[in-house]
Amino acid sequence: MSIIFDNVYKAFGPKKILDGVSFTVDTGEIMFILGKSGMGKSVTLKNVVGLLKPDRGNVFVDKMTINELDEDGLEGARKICGMVFQHPALLDSLNVYQNVAFGLRGIPEARIRERVLECLKLVHLDESIFKRKPPEISYGMQKRVSLARTLAPGPRYLLFDEPTTGLDPITTNAVNELIFELSRKLKVTSVVVSHDMGCALRIADRILVLDQGKVLALGSVEEIKKSPAQLIRDFLMEAI
Amino acid sequence: MALKFYLLNPLIAFLLGAREVGFIFFKTLMTCLKGPHRIREVIQYMYSIGVGSLPIITISTAFAGFVVTSELAHQMDTALHTVEMLPGFSGQFVFRELGIVIPALLLVSKVGAATTAEVGSMKVTEQIDALRLLQIDPIEYLVYPRFVASIIVITCLTLISIFVTLVVAIAVAVLKYNFAVLEYTNALTHFVANKDLVCALVKGMVFGAVVPVISCYYGFNCSGGAEGVGNATTNSVVTSTIIVIILDFVLTFAFSLVL
Amino acid sequence: MKVLANFFHQIGGMFLFARQVKRTWLCTLGSNTPLVIEQVGSVGLRSISTVCFAGFFVGAILVIQLQLMLAQYDASAMLGGLNTSACIREVGPLIISFLLAGKVGAYTTAELGTMRVTEQIDAIRCLGTNPLQYLVVPRFVAIVVSSLLLLVFGLLIGLFGSMVVASWLYNINPLQYLQSVPRFCGGWTVFCGVAKSAVYGTIVASVSTYKGYNASGGAKGVGVAVTECAVYTNLLIVFANTFMSILLDGMHEIFTMVVG
Repeated sequence: MSIIFDNVYKAFGPKKILDGVSFTVDTGEIMFILGKSGMGKSVTLKNVVGLLKPDRGNVFVDKMTINELDEDGLEGARKICGMVFQHPALLDSLNVYQNVAFGLRGIPEARIRERVLECLKLVHLDESIFKRKPPEISYGMQKRVSLARTLAPGPRYLLFDEPTTGLDPITTNAVNELIFELSRKLKVTSVVVSHDMGCALRIADRILVLDQGKVLALGSVEEIKKSPAQLIRDFLMEAI
Repeated sequence: MALKFYLLNPLIAFLLGAREVGFIFFKTLMTCLKGPHRIREVIQYMYSIGVGSLPIITISTAFAGFVVTSELAHQMDTALHTVEMLPGFSGQFVFRELGIVIPALLLVSKVGAATTAEVGSMKVTEQIDALRLLQIDPIEYLVYPRFVASIIVITCLTLISIFVTLVVAIAVAVLKYNFAVLEYTNALTHFVANKDLVCALVKGMVFGAVVPVISCYYGFNCSGGAEGVGNATTNSVVTSTIIVIILDFVLTFAFSLVL
Repeated sequence: MKVLANFFHQIGGMFLFARQVKRTWLCTLGSNTPLVIEQVGSVGLRSISTVCFAGFFVGAILVIQLQLMLAQYDASAMLGGLNTSACIREVGPLIISFLLAGKVGAYTTAELGTMRVTEQIDAIRCLGTNPLQYLVVPRFVAIVVSSLLLLVFGLLIGLFGSMVVASWLYNINPLQYLQSVPRFCGGWTVFCGVAKSAVYGTIVASVSTYKGYNASGGAKGVGVAVTECAVYTNLLIVFANTFMSILLDGMHEIFTMVVG
């Protein structure tokens, strides 16, 4: 019951993005994937839900081999893996309620309403914004609604793609708190892609550092703090 | 209330827009007289507008020439039961309408869209404000070179497209309807006068002057990030197309009195 | 050479994409009718005024040009028929679909492109919905249907416009004008116009959805996609115009041979 990357390679044209990456995310933990821009962090995440397929190697989620599934097969995997995108990625033509309810199908209307409200409560919002369209609410709110939309189908894994990029420090803190709180309260496994060492140190259980398409370091916060690698030292300096 | 909403507000918006377009146009003309003439920018835009659009315009007008000549022959066959007049008619049609409007419309969708997108993204990334702070007038710097380049280029493109269309029309007449080349050119000299060419070039130049002014106007007035630029581009292309068609009507009528 | 290769690459991509859209549409036939109707409404309402304008003036321009030529032969009586025939068979569909390419095509590309670069399309996939079915199929079908309706409507307005201009500028009695129409325009002419309209509508739909759905590279990428959409649509419409003219002429000949 975990996410496993087994020797994954991925290249875009001549550019190698992932060059033999292997790691395991254990159930219930919060894992941070850190690295500089363009080092394959987001690509790693997109491999988990089958938005990208690896050139070589395998990706397992709960014993499903993601890279061998077709679009229909991926539906099962996507039900248990919720992905929160870098942009809020809310559908502009739908209001907040419809956005959160988008992934809920085949259950009665009353139940959907209940679930939407429940999810909005989890991200500290309420029904007063049901009827608003995404462009009419603040960016921070859009992020939260996006998180609520991901939570609605009840995923067991949460994947965050740079959740705090482009946010002010206060909202950044709030989002990080939210990630921590949700992971503990809902007992889900979280994978967070980020370049913010500061919040990784605060809320991560384990940290994975990617560099040049390879795993540079993987370990608990304490282990990472003691790592001698220059890149990690730079990241740590930045965090302090 | 409804009247105000559906009629008055759009009308006021239209008049305000027209005033600003007029202002940009006037200022550009003033720059033409006073300078600075920015020859280097003009040449650069001439290159990017002209060379970029040449293949598409040549290919499109060639195809259009083929279809319209066949079409005219078909019409004449049904109307007059003879295709005798094909050279004169098709020649006139090429010089008066086809060779001018097709390149103008293509220029609108290619150059107009690109200009609005470019100026619009300069606007939303505050580059235009930066120009103002550097004491550079955005109209002089952005509109004027495009204006001059577009007029010169469209004159050349009109000539090229008239030539291409004519060659195709002659080819169709010769190969499909068994005219001799000389026969065709004789008819042409009889039906098409020098003033037809002058009128064609005047039309082309008017269209060439309209496109950059309208597309820069939409670029200057766009707001709201990437989406705003997209909207502005769409509106710019549609408005320019409509204005080109309306101007074409007005000019065609005006010239029909002269010819 | 590189330009040409790229061009064919794009055309091929468009065909494959359109085929995929068609397959998705056939698989889920009927399940997204409300979405399609909503899109038809929005596309139609957005463009109807522009199409009316264009139709009117295209008819008017054609009247002036034809009158100039026909007056040389004292054949003004045939103006109505010739003008209507030229308008329906050729010029009307061409110019109006140029306009629709700019209006509907560019809008759709910008909309889908923005959804692509802000990861909305990925989000839809992650929530277990097929974006082709949810976003592309309704737009594709709606563009084909509504551009057909708009073109037919625009042609009618064009007919009306040319009648008005003929009676206003050249004192041709509208009744006389209308009387000469059936001499030149039969069912075949109308069929040609409608067939061409349908093909152009499909071109606008394929190019704009393909370019939007496959946009990449942020806001700038969307801008590039929109410009390319306009260029490709116009170019393909001009090609299709030639092709359709030859095809329809051939069909007509075979038809008259068989019947006659």
